[in-house]
Amino acid sequence: MEDVQVVAMLVRRCIAGDATAWEEIVQTYNRRIYNICYRFAGTSDDAQDLTQEVFIKMYRTLSSYDASKGAFVTWVTTITRNLLVDHFRKTKQDRMTDSMDSTASDHEDAQPLSEQIPDQSAPPDARVRQRELSDTVHQALGKLSPELREAVILRDLQDMDYKDIASVLRVPEGTVKSRINRGRAELGRLLQRTYRQVM
Amino acid sequence: MPDRTKNDHTSNGMQCNEFDLLLSDALDGVLSGTVLDRFQTHARICKTCGPLLAEAEAGRTWLKGLTEVEPPASLVSNILASTTGVDTQRLRTMTRAPQPRISWWEHAQASYLEPMWAIVRQPRFAMSFGMAFFALSVSLTVAGVKPSDLGQISLRPSAIRRTYYNTQARVVRYVDNVRPVLEVQAALRGIKRNMNPAEPGPAKQKERKNDTTQQPEQKQDRNYSQTGEKLILASDPLGPSNRDLPVVSVTTYRRFV
Repeated sequence: MEDVQVVAMLVRRCIAGDATAWEEIVQTYNRRIYNICYRFAGTSDDAQDLTQEVFIKMYRTLSSYDASKGAFVTWVTTITRNLLVDHFRKTKQDRMTDSMDSTASDHEDAQPLSEQIPDQSAPPDARVRQRELSDTVHQALGKLSPELREAVILRDLQDMDYKDIASVLRVPEGTVKSRINRGRAELGRLLQRTYRQVM
Repeated sequence: MPDRTKNDHTSNGMQCNEFDLLLSDALDGVLSGTVLDRFQTHARICKTCGPLLAEAEAGRTWLKGLTEVEPPASLVSNILASTTGVDTQRLRTMTRAPQPRISWWEHAQASYLEPMWAIVRQPRFAMSFGMAFFALSVSLTVAGVKPSDLGQISLRPSAIRRTYYNTQARVVRYVDNVRPVLEVQAALRGIKRNMNPAEPGPAKQKERKNDTTQQPEQKQDRNYSQTGEKLILASDPLGPSNRDLPVVSVTTYRRFV
């Protein structure tokens, strides 16, 4: 994704006060960070605020980046993940979206996604159907516990390898794989249940 | 959630814990050989791991179907404003289109002349200006003013006074010359009226009443006065009560020194 030397040079220029270099960094990474925030936080407004916070923090701590320790994108993703955790704690969402493994029975009683989304039986347009499908998956993603959610977002949406994910989440690689498997399975179970009720 | 803590031992020698560890690799398609065979066999036999594989595969497919969302257009500029404090030169040039340089004449034209010209171009104003110009040109022609003379006009008070008296004398001479002609015309009209008292021609009027095509005045009458009686009255300029009154012509003589 990134040429290490080019990024290192860009960071050095930025630290030296080159505004163009900083703008280039923002242009390169804003889309990625916004998407991680959007998929994790769930709303566009939160994603915008969080993306902005990530870049502010990045701007302040750019001098602490050490290219020998890892890729710049991993460093950026780590900052993003840490802010998402803080945001999650602040908004106290963890009580509402508890781990699905420990409270599987809660989901049995919970309102199914099919009742939260409009009827999908007769969408007039394929694009509308695709959009509704994306919304449904996005909602289902929000139902996962934050640990499982961040793992599947980084793996399946950001295409990061297990080693980098382990570095970002600061957990062993085996744990990362386990979380990814559980997250995928939980999501598949939720969506299968949803579409079984719709159809 | 099924209990997967115990190490189920299936006939092919793979335990559920091992299956868990290999699940992500299997979905990534990196398993091969005997490991893949054992994995697939376990998935077929184990009542817990089989559904888990199907659900994980389904979940992965759903997630892969999610497309990237587009960040808002203002996000980059907001980030730059909140970090560096000011937007960069390149952003300024991107957001603000280059303004073409215009001369003062083009500016005046766009600001003042074009709006005024738009008003003047309205039909009613155009007709008024046309009539005013026509009246002015006729007046100047009658007064003997030529455009070529305008350059030789002297604006000294004595010259203006002289021009005024000359013009006045020219008007008086014109009236003096025309006076005999007007007197003769007035006398002839009086004689004619005394000898042949004017009578309205009913038949002619009726003809006119029936034949109203191709004549704007009559069309106008048809629109504004719908009765035939008014048409007859309108055709008689003096009316019945004024028919025998003498014609008086008044001429004013004024001399200017």
